[in-house]
Amino acid sequence: MNLLTQPIGVSHYLIVGAFLFVTGVVCMATKRNALGVLMGIELVLNGANVNFVAFGSEYLRPDTLGIGLDGQLVALFVIVLAAAEAAVALAITLNFYNNHATVDVDQANELKG
Amino acid sequence: MDPVSTLPKLLGLAWLLPLVSFTLIVFFGPRMGKSGSKAGYLATGAILASCVLSLFALFFVWLPGYGLPAPAHHQAAAESSHEAPAGTAHDAAPSVKAITGDWYTLGKFGSLRITIGYYIDSLTMLMFSMVTVIATCIHFYAYGYMHYELHEVVDHEVKLPNGQHLHRRGRFHRFFQYMSLFCFSMLGIVIAGNIAMVFVFWELVGICSYFLIGFYIERKSACVAANKAFIVNRVGDFGMIIGMMIFFGTLGTFAFGDIDTDGDGKPEPGLFSLVRSEENHHALATPDGMIKAAAAAEIGRGVVPTAEQIQAWREDISPGSPGRYAYWLLITAGLGIFCGCVGKSAQFPLHVWLPDAMEGPTPVSALVHSATMVAAGVYLVGRFYPMFAPEVLLVIAVIGCITLFVAATIAITATDIKRVLAYSTVSQLGYMMLALGVGGWAAGMFHLITHAFFKSLLFMCSGSVIHACHTNEMTKMGGLRKKMPWTAYTMLAGCLAIMGAGIPFSIGLSGHYSKDAILAQALSFKAGNPFYGWLFYVAAGGAAITAFYMFRLWFMTFAGTPRDHHIYEHAHESPKVMYYPLVMLSVFAVGIGWSVERFGIQPLLEQTRPAGILAMSNGVLMPDLVYPSEHASHLDEFHGPSTYVATATALCGFLLAVVFYGLRILDPNEVRNQFQLIYRFLIHKWYFDELYDAIFVQPLLFVARRVADFDKKVIDVFIDKLALVTRMVAGLDDLIDRYFVDGFVNSAAAGIYGVGTWFHGAETGKLRQYVMFIVIGTVALFVLISFYLNSTLAGF
Amino acid sequence: MESTYVTLLSLIVFLPTAGALALAFFPREKTDAMKTFSLVVTAVVFLLTVIMALPGQGGGWQFDAAVSEMQKVFSLDWIPSFNIRYFMGLDGISFPLLLLTTFITMLSMGASWPIQKHVKAYCILFLLLETGMLGVFLALDFFLFYVFWEVMLLPMYFLIGVWGGPRREYAAIKFFLYTLLGSVFMLIAILMLYFASDLKLLSDKQLVVANVVSSYVDQAAQAEQIAALRAQPQPIHTFNILALQQLGQHTDAFDTIILGKSLQWWAFLLLLLGFVIKVPSVPLHTWLPDAHVEAPTPISMILAGVLLKMGGYGIIRICYPICPHAGYDLAYFVCLLGVVSMVYGGFAALAQKDFKRLVAYSSVSHMGYVVLGIGVWSAVAGNQFNADAWKMGMNGAMFQMIAHGISSSGMFFMVGVIYDRVHHRNLDQFGGLFAKMPVYSGLAIGIFFAGLGLPGLCGFIGEVFVTLSVWNYSHALAVISASVVIITAAYILWTLQRVYLGPEYRGPHGDHLHPMTIRELAIVAPLLVFAIVFGVYPQAVFHYMTPSVDRTVDDLAAWTRMEATSSPSTADDAQEREASIAQQ
Repeated sequence: MNLLTQPIGVSHYLIVGAFLFVTGVVCMATKRNALGVLMGIELVLNGANVNFVAFGSEYLRPDTLGIGLDGQLVALFVIVLAAAEAAVALAITLNFYNNHATVDVDQANELKG
Repeated sequence: MDPVSTLPKLLGLAWLLPLVSFTLIVFFGPRMGKSGSKAGYLATGAILASCVLSLFALFFVWLPGYGLPAPAHHQAAAESSHEAPAGTAHDAAPSVKAITGDWYTLGKFGSLRITIGYYIDSLTMLMFSMVTVIATCIHFYAYGYMHYELHEVVDHEVKLPNGQHLHRRGRFHRFFQYMSLFCFSMLGIVIAGNIAMVFVFWELVGICSYFLIGFYIERKSACVAANKAFIVNRVGDFGMIIGMMIFFGTLGTFAFGDIDTDGDGKPEPGLFSLVRSEENHHALATPDGMIKAAAAAEIGRGVVPTAEQIQAWREDISPGSPGRYAYWLLITAGLGIFCGCVGKSAQFPLHVWLPDAMEGPTPVSALVHSATMVAAGVYLVGRFYPMFAPEVLLVIAVIGCITLFVAATIAITATDIKRVLAYSTVSQLGYMMLALGVGGWAAGMFHLITHAFFKSLLFMCSGSVIHACHTNEMTKMGGLRKKMPWTAYTMLAGCLAIMGAGIPFSIGLSGHYSKDAILAQALSFKAGNPFYGWLFYVAAGGAAITAFYMFRLWFMTFAGTPRDHHIYEHAHESPKVMYYPLVMLSVFAVGIGWSVERFGIQPLLEQTRPAGILAMSNGVLMPDLVYPSEHASHLDEFHGPSTYVATATALCGFLLAVVFYGLRILDPNEVRNQFQLIYRFLIHKWYFDELYDAIFVQPLLFVARRVADFDKKVIDVFIDKLALVTRMVAGLDDLIDRYFVDGFVNSAAAGIYGVGTWFHGAETGKLRQYVMFIVIGTVALFVLISFYLNSTLAGF
Repeated sequence: MESTYVTLLSLIVFLPTAGALALAFFPREKTDAMKTFSLVVTAVVFLLTVIMALPGQGGGWQFDAAVSEMQKVFSLDWIPSFNIRYFMGLDGISFPLLLLTTFITMLSMGASWPIQKHVKAYCILFLLLETGMLGVFLALDFFLFYVFWEVMLLPMYFLIGVWGGPRREYAAIKFFLYTLLGSVFMLIAILMLYFASDLKLLSDKQLVVANVVSSYVDQAAQAEQIAALRAQPQPIHTFNILALQQLGQHTDAFDTIILGKSLQWWAFLLLLLGFVIKVPSVPLHTWLPDAHVEAPTPISMILAGVLLKMGGYGIIRICYPICPHAGYDLAYFVCLLGVVSMVYGGFAALAQKDFKRLVAYSSVSHMGYVVLGIGVWSAVAGNQFNADAWKMGMNGAMFQMIAHGISSSGMFFMVGVIYDRVHHRNLDQFGGLFAKMPVYSGLAIGIFFAGLGLPGLCGFIGEVFVTLSVWNYSHALAVISASVVIITAAYILWTLQRVYLGPEYRGPHGDHLHPMTIRELAIVAPLLVFAIVFGVYPQAVFHYMTPSVDRTVDDLAAWTRMEATSSPSTADDAQEREASIAQQ
C-alpha cells in the first residue's frame, strides 16, 4: 500500500486536495489580514474542487455512477461561487478598510456576543 | 218561627255582639267618657243584648219550635234498658235533631274543608243562656268592682327600686275590652259546629285568660301566672291537635253533625254519624276511614277496600290486625281531644295553672276561671261524647276522680279565700269529668250548669269581701257577717248549693240534684264494674271534704269574732251594682236545679241527647268494662243509697266545719300540729309545682340552652373552623405556588440563562477563532462519526 | 298579547333598576330626596302588582285567579346558541309571593329613613335587590332564574356588610359564602339537567304546555314550529323550567344512573341543598341569626320577609316537579329537615338573650313548617293516591310563607323601633314598655301573637294546616310537629313578659322611650292589618294560590299513581326500577 509505488489514482488527488484544504484552513486561522483570509478561503474551496474533480473523473474511478460529469459540474459551481464570494468579500473588506483604515480581522470584533 | 232558620241567626248575632264591643273599645276605648268609663257601658250593653237574644232564642224559638221536653220517663226507660240484653238496646235517634250548618270556609283542599259553622241543640241553648246570664251579672258586678281603675292607681303589691309603690294610669276600658273578647270566644266554643272551630276559640279564650290573669302587668306574679296558664294549656292543646289530626287525617272532616257542604241535597256525614252510623243503630264502631288508614299497608299491596273487606277488618281485633290498630286510633284520638280538655278544665295533671290564675281581678276569676272557660273542657267532653270509646271514658273517669280528690285536699289547708275557691273549682270540675267518665252524660252537663251559677256566685262574694277588706287572707277576717250581710247570706246560699244541701227525695238546692245524679251514676257504674267501685267512694268522700272546706271558708270569713280589727273596722258592704248581681245569682244557685212539670235543665238536656250514648256498651279492648245506661241510675237501687250517702257525707263535712271553725270547739292548729307531715304536703299543693319545675321546665330550658350552645359552639365553630381551614389551605397553596411551582419555573429559566451565559463566552467576535472552532468541530464530528456511528455509516 | 306581558312583567322587574340608574344622577347631599324617590319607585311597583291582583279582566293586566296554569307568559330569545330565553310568567304560586315582595320592599324602604350613611349607595343597592327578588319569582328560564338569584345576592352582601352592626363583615361574608355555596350546587344541578334534557322527547301537547312552542299562535303555526323542532338531528337541550317539569314527570330523561343513583336524585339533592340554605333549615341555618343581628332593620325585614321565601318557592317550583322520583324517595328526608328545624329553632329561640337573635331563630322554626308542608307526600298506594292532605300541606306551606313574611318582618321592625331608641337588644334589660309606649306595645303584642299562631291572626292558618296535613304522611313527625306549639308559646310569651310587661324599664336610655312616630305607625299598621285579615279571611290568599298549588300536587299524585301502576313492584322499590332502567 505504498502510494508512491502505485499508479496515479484517486488517493493521490485526495492527498493533494487535503493538502490544499489544510493549507487554506491554516491560512484562514493564522492570517490577520483579511485578504490573507480570503486567499485561505480560495485554497479551501479549490482543495474541495480537486476532490470533486477526482471523484467525478471516469479515468480515475471507473465505477462512477451518474451521467459522469457530476464532479466537474460541482467544481464549476464552486468556481463560480468562489468568484462571487470573492467579489462580495472584497467589497466588505474594502468597506471595512474605509471605516477602520485597516484590514486586520481581529479589529472586527463587533460580532462579539 | 222556624227554629232551623232563625236560631243560627239569633245565636250568631248574640255571639258577634261582644266582638263588636271589643273592636269598638280597642279603637275608641280611651276616649269613651272620662278615662274610658263608657267602655263599661258598651261591654255590659253588648253582653246584655246577647243575653236577651239567647234567652229569647231559648224561650220563644226553641221551646215553641220543639215543644217542651218529653215527660220524665226515667223509671220506665231505665226499666226497659235494664231488662234488655246487653248490646241490643240501642236507642233511636232523638226526636229533635241538632241544627247544623256552615257560615264560612277558612280553607278547602280537595274534599277537605275547614269551616266556621254551628251545631245547635238544647245543650248549646242551655250553655248559651248560662254563659250570657252569668257574664251579664259579672259585667254589672265588674263595673262596681273595677271602679278604682277609673283613676290613677297605686299598686301596693309592686315596689319600685326606689322603695315607692307603683303609680299608674287606670285601665278600666282595657278590662272590659278583654271581657268582651272573652265572651265572644267563649260563645264561639259553645256554638262551634266543628272541632277545628272549637280549637280556634279554645285558643282565643286561652289568650283572653292570659290577658286577664296578667291584667296587673306590673306584678311579676301575675305575668308568670298568665304565662303558666297559657303554656300549660298549650300542653293540653298539643294533645288536642293530635286528636284533631287523627280525626281529620282518617275521616276527612271536622264537623260534628251532618252538613250538606256541596249542595247536592244529601248531607255529608259528620264525625258523630261516622262513628255512630244510623245503619249500626248509633252504636259506637270504628269508622271506615280509620280502618282504611290502619290497613294502608294492605291497601298498598293491592287489597281493594270494599265494604265487606272493611267489615272483616273491623271485626278482627286480634293483636297486630288493622281492626285493632284502627280501634287504637279511635282511642288515641279520643284521648287527644280529652287531653285538651284536661288542660282547659285544669284536671290532674295539668291543674297547676288554675290556682295561680287567681292573680287576675276577681270578676275574671268568677267568669273565666270558674263558670265558663274552665268549664269549656267539660263542655267539650260532653259535646264530643259520642266519639269516646268506653276505654277513653274510663280514663276520663279516673282522671276526674284523682282531680277531685287532690284538689279537695289542697283546698282544706289554703287560707287565701280565692285559692280555696279555685281548688274547689278544680275539684268540682273533677266531679263533672267523673260523671262523664262513668257514663253520666246528663249528670255531668247538669252539674256543669248548676256549678257555673253557684261558683260564680261564690267568687263574686269573695270578691266583695276582698273589695271590703283589701286582703285575700282569711286568717285576717272573721265576723264580717254583721258588716256586709248581703254578701254573707248570698254566699251562704252558694255554700249550701255547692255542698248539695237538701231534704232527700223532696227538695234541695241546685247542687243537691246534680251531685246526687253524679253519685248515683257512679254507683250504677260500680254495680257493673266492681273493680272501679273506688270511684264512687272517692266521690262520696270528696263530697264531705267539699262541705268541710266551704263552710270553713264561710265561718272563717263571716262568723265568730274579727281576727284583725283594723280590717274589720274598715270593712263595708259593697255598692248596689255589686250585690244586686249576687242576689240574682243566688236565686239561680238555689233554684236552677228544679224541674217544674216538664221544664228543667235535665229534661231539656235529654231532649237532644246524642244518639246512641244511652245504650249499654262494652269496651272492645277491655271486654269486661260495662257502661250501664244512664237511665239505670234513676232506679231506686242506685238513686236511693246515693242520695243518702250524699246527704250524709255533706252533713259530716258541715258538722266538722262547725266544730272546728263555726263554734271553734276544737282548735285546727292542734290538728295541724298532730299531722305536720300531711299538712306540709297539702300546703305545698302536693309539690306539683316543684315537681313540674324539676322534671319539665328546667330540663326544657336546659335543652334550649344546649341547643343554642350547639349552634354557637358546634355549628358556628365548625363553620368558622372550616373557614379557617380553608384559609390555611389557601395559605399552603400560596406557599406551594411561590416556592414549588414558581421555584421550578424560575430555576429552569435561571439554568437556561446560565447555559446561555456560558456559551456567550465563546462568542469572542474573533474571526480566526471561529474558523478554529469550525475546524475543531468538523474534526470532532468526524472523529465521533467514525468511532461511534461506524455501523450506521457502514450500513449506509 | 305577548307584547303586553313583556311590557308588564319587564316593567315590574326592571323599574327598580331604572330607578337605581336615575338615583345615580342625584346630588350627594339630597338624602331625603333620594329616599323619597326610592320609596316612590317601590310604591309604584307595588301598585302595579296590586292592579294585577284586582279582580276583573281590564286590559289583560289582571291576574286571573281561576287559572291554574302559567299566565302572562312570554318567551323571547336571549342567548340562542344555548337556547337561553328571556322567559317569564306567573301562576298562583309565584303571584302571592310577588305581591308580598313588592309590599315588604315598600315598607322596608319606609323603614330605611334612619339610615344616614352613604344614602345614595344604599338606595341604589336596595332597588337592585328588589329587581333580583322580583326576577327570581318571575323567571321561568332556569338560567334567567339563576342570574336573578345571583343578582339578589350581591346587593344583600353590601347592604349587610356596609350598613350593618359591629360584626357586619363577619355576618356579611358568612351570608355570602353560605348562599354562594348553595347557588353553586344549584348551578351544577342546572347544568346536569340541561345536558340531560331533550325537547324532542316531549309530545306535541307537552311542548305547547311548556311554552316551548308559543301558545299565542294558531295551530298551523304551532305544527310548523314543532315540525322544525323535530327535524333537528341532535338532542335539543333546554333551560325551560316548564319543559324540564314535563320531562321529569312524563319521560325518563333524567333517570340515567350516576354513582349508583339516578341523575334526578343527585339533581334534586343539589337543588334542595341550595334551597334549604336559603330557607334556612337546620343544620345550614347559622348564617341567619348572624345576618339578622348585624343587618340594619329594613334589611332584616327583607331578609326575613322575602329572601327566606325563595327557598320554599324553589322547592315547590323546581325540586319536586322536575325530579318527582327523587322527591318521592327523599320526601321523608325533606319532612325531617322541616321538623328538625321547627323543634331546633324553637329551642334555640328559648335560650336567646338578644331580642333580634330570638326573632331570627323563630324564623328558623316557622320556616320549618314550610319545608314540612311541602314534603308531606301522602298520595301513596296505601292511601289510594288521595292527595287531599298533601294539598292542604302545600297550601298551608304557601300560606305560611306569606304569613311569616308579614309577621316576621313586623317582628323585626318592632325590634328595630325599640333599638333605635335605646340602642341595645338585651332581653334582660327591657320591661315595662307597655306603660311607656302603649301603642307600640299593643301593636307589637299583636304582631308577636301572629307569630305565636294565635287564631284570628295569620300564623295560625299556616301552622295548623301544615300540622294537620302531616298525620297521613307520618305519625311520628306529626306528633313532633304538634309539640312545637308548646315551645313556640313558651318563647314568645316569655319574651313578651321580659320586654313589655313588668313594672318598669330596666335598661339604659330610658328617657329616650318616646312614642312611635307616624312613619313607624304607617309601616307596622298595614302589617298588623294584613296579619288580621289573612287570619280571619285566609281565602284572600288561598283564592290566588290554591288552583296552582292543587295542580302541582295533582300532577305529582298522578305521577305517583302512574309510577305505581306501571311497574309490577310498588313505587317505592327504587332499586328494582333503576335496575330495569339500566337493562334498557
